[in-house]
Amino acid sequence: MQEFLQQLINGLAVGGLYALIALGYTMVYGVLKLINFAHGELFALGAYLGLTLLTALGLAGGGPAAVALILLFAMGLVALAGYLLERVAYRPLRGSGRLTAVVSALGASIFFQNAMMLVFGAKARVYPGGILSGEVFTLLGAQIPATRILLLASSLLLMLLLYWFIHHTRTGAAVRAVSLDQGAARLMGIDVNRVISLVFLIGPALGAAAGVMAGLLYGQIKYDMGVLYGLKAFTAAILGGIGNIPGAMAGGILLGVIEALGAAYISIAWKDAIAFCLLILILIFRPTGLLGERTADKV
Amino acid sequence: MKKLPFLALLTLLPFLASAAPSLAGPVKIGLLAPLTGPFASEGQDMKNLVSLLAEELNRAGGVNGSPVEVVVEDDGSAPRSAANAANRLVARGVPVVVGTYGSAVTEASQEIFAEAGIVQIATGSTAIRLTAKGLERFFRTCPRDDEQGRVAAETIARLGFRNIAILHDNSVYAKGLAEESRERIRRKGVANVIFYDALQPNERDYSAILTKLKGIGPEAILFTGYYTEAGLLLRQMAEMRWSVPMIGGDATNNVGLVEIAGKAATGYRFISPALPADIDTPAARAFLAAYQAEYKTLPGSIWPVLAGDAFNVLVEAIKARGTDPGAIAGYLHKELRDFEGLTGKISFDYSGDRVGDLYRLYEVDAEGRFVLVP
Amino acid sequence: MIAARRSLLSWSAFFASLAALPPLLPLLGVDGGGAVQIGVLNDIGIYLILALSLNIILGHAGIFHMGHTAFFAVGAYAAAILNTSCGWPILSALPVAGLLAALLAFLVAVPVIRLRGDYLLVVTIGVVEIVRICLVNNIFGLTGGANGIAGIGRAVILGRRLTTPADIFYLIWSFAALSVLLFSLLENSRFGRALNYIREDEVAAAGCGINTGRHKIQAFVLGAFWAGMAGTLFAVKTRLVDPESFTFSESVMLFAIVILGGAGSMAGIVLGTFLLIGLQEIFRDFLEARMLVFGAAMVAMMIFRPQGLLPARARRYDTGGRTGASPGAAGREKKPGPPAGNGAAGT
Repeated sequence: MQEFLQQLINGLAVGGLYALIALGYTMVYGVLKLINFAHGELFALGAYLGLTLLTALGLAGGGPAAVALILLFAMGLVALAGYLLERVAYRPLRGSGRLTAVVSALGASIFFQNAMMLVFGAKARVYPGGILSGEVFTLLGAQIPATRILLLASSLLLMLLLYWFIHHTRTGAAVRAVSLDQGAARLMGIDVNRVISLVFLIGPALGAAAGVMAGLLYGQIKYDMGVLYGLKAFTAAILGGIGNIPGAMAGGILLGVIEALGAAYISIAWKDAIAFCLLILILIFRPTGLLGERTADKV
Repeated sequence: MKKLPFLALLTLLPFLASAAPSLAGPVKIGLLAPLTGPFASEGQDMKNLVSLLAEELNRAGGVNGSPVEVVVEDDGSAPRSAANAANRLVARGVPVVVGTYGSAVTEASQEIFAEAGIVQIATGSTAIRLTAKGLERFFRTCPRDDEQGRVAAETIARLGFRNIAILHDNSVYAKGLAEESRERIRRKGVANVIFYDALQPNERDYSAILTKLKGIGPEAILFTGYYTEAGLLLRQMAEMRWSVPMIGGDATNNVGLVEIAGKAATGYRFISPALPADIDTPAARAFLAAYQAEYKTLPGSIWPVLAGDAFNVLVEAIKARGTDPGAIAGYLHKELRDFEGLTGKISFDYSGDRVGDLYRLYEVDAEGRFVLVP
Repeated sequence: MIAARRSLLSWSAFFASLAALPPLLPLLGVDGGGAVQIGVLNDIGIYLILALSLNIILGHAGIFHMGHTAFFAVGAYAAAILNTSCGWPILSALPVAGLLAALLAFLVAVPVIRLRGDYLLVVTIGVVEIVRICLVNNIFGLTGGANGIAGIGRAVILGRRLTTPADIFYLIWSFAALSVLLFSLLENSRFGRALNYIREDEVAAAGCGINTGRHKIQAFVLGAFWAGMAGTLFAVKTRLVDPESFTFSESVMLFAIVILGGAGSMAGIVLGTFLLIGLQEIFRDFLEARMLVFGAAMVAMMIFRPQGLLPARARRYDTGGRTGASPGAAGREKKPGPPAGNGAAGT
């Protein structure tokens, strides 16, 4: 029981990270019906920019305030990169078929990944230790490092903020309108391009936040780290029902927990295969993911 | 449709254009290294280190009066692109090649070099079968998995652990070493292997695996994968407040391990060929100082240094026998004895494997330095 | 008819000029007798066969499929295992490798074929990952784990052992030519037309009495069968199969070839394969920056040719002297992309 609880907590922390990245996939998909395959790379870019700022500003011993500052900086810069990505690689392709943009996204992903390798080096880079508290709490015999609680709490906070923004502000309503029906939204006087740009600011910013958190939590970052996390987060977004924001959160957390329990009780080496098999099974019984809306194929 | 053949053939033109006839001139030494892909950091260090060696050599007058030119090709860390890169090295007329790192990648290039009669010295490919094919012109400066497995088993016996866990990462290298070690440990009755599984590299969060391991309760963990994962395991073990001795293989011989794990690395042990810093030859010390001055850092691991040694023995052989690959191979097999390399004395046996007792046990001290355990 | 004859002629010209390359390259004084170029062309040939088979699934039937490597891997491993463990001559494994890949495709397709576009995409990605994990973990003790399977025997055709890259070149490119021939027959068949109809409008196709699910499964299985045979050719060429050759990124490359070349257009796919595989080699002079330039080139090509390099042309039918496109041709003018894409925004 104690071990089960521990594994559950392990899974939740990883899942929180997946969920945060998955939000970027799902939001972009919501407005553009595009799987932004370069999103994983934006996550990695966030991790690198966080580290660069951390060392450049000499904030390594700065505590929570410094962390928040770094987080905001990295989010801002990556949001800018996401905006540029949309303008350069996706906007010219709007209206030329969805798969065209997917290939452009794949190209952008290769480009970003190799750009990071050339700029930041091929070696793994390391966040300085001791920025966050090393305390460990004990709950019913399970041990929970403070860093993981912090990670889970901040990703939940960001998700709630996003949820509030999407559902309780006028701009959020515009985002929802655009993802529901672009044409009708335009007729209602919504500037669709602005909404899409906004989504390409928010999604990458959340990805960057996840990147900085991964850096702080695990210490080690590498230029190709976005591939694995991107794939997992994308899977999580599909699992939850792509285009659906609470779905991405639920999908991310669920995937993290499935992986941890799969590793614990079945096999470590097979855990990813187990996760994918479960995903396929879920999709067979719920063809639009856990929280995805059931839509007809064609109107 | 009509334009198709011409369009397609047009894309071939650059290949043809790039094929300028080669002229006699500098002595060409090929370097096949992973400049891109997952092993890029090793490959780029290999390129830096070998280029610096060549530069120093040329400043001192080259070999037999001609300068040395290092011809670099990227193997992309993958067998398919390695085969193409090998073909390009053959076409660029190199008589000898240094490289490459991954065992499967090397294997994809072996036959191409063998057919072209080129001497190849692999630098990080430890899979046993590479030298078991009877290729006369294939050598390696790194030791083999079985040798390391033997040393790992001996180390565990010496440290007196009875119940151990073996963890690998499903790479050719790590799995080979894990299997060799398990086999030896079982056969000699050294210890009980109570856990044997693989983690996924690049995953970063190993808390689920560590929780599972903690529940099983081994006296020590033998981790045969790479330094990044070893560093993360150590760090996350400390976060869980779980201290169990961990022992690693030579792929964890990298300063990055201490950077990632920080204080948690203290007491970590690994087996590895002797570090350049522990090889007390003036040449090795001077070269590492020059490397530090040129690139502001030391080579990240032992593997680029082994590439440097491959380059050095090739130069030695060319000095003695000229650039005929057959003569070079014969020299390396029969005449090169106890050559003073950057990683110690180098000789090759009849199958092309490096001779000698290369492995040492190292421990990370409280300052994060790698200290030789006598 | 005239168009068909013209296309036959230009395909023949294309394959004939390729066939002339191996003896020609050494005469042109290319370094190393053209081994580099032949080696790259062999890669291109295998990718071409794979891309043509993916084209049936992705280009014609419009099924979002990013997991073609899984079937390629099954074929390659089947051939390697039959050759090394059972002593089969490698080329005789060709049909079995294809059938095993087709079987896997069938098992995967039946439950999931009705999923909407992007959900299907992630299922196919999942299949690649599952297959790769099975290979790495040495499933049933057959696949050799991370080491893969080495020591695959040389192919023998009519008593002749294929030893040189040029021998392999003729084997691969003959198979590629055969693929082009058979797939062009398929394109113009009733089946091919039905697939295109499904891609353009699944509801309407079903309304016309096409069993859409069955057609999609058939396309999927057929494409996988061909990919499995391509796997055998890969095993013949490399004589070593290992999990690293069958990663997700290879699937991505194939996907990109089909879309970038022009989904549904064989000429486009030939050009796309030459560009995407050839460029990686040409950019070698950039060393570390090789893939950076490649990624940028991919984005640029999509922006300049959003409909693909050589998009499929509208089907035209002889209407007995009257000119004008049939309803089918009007459908082809639409943007590429399956109905799920058109419908999703509007629902």
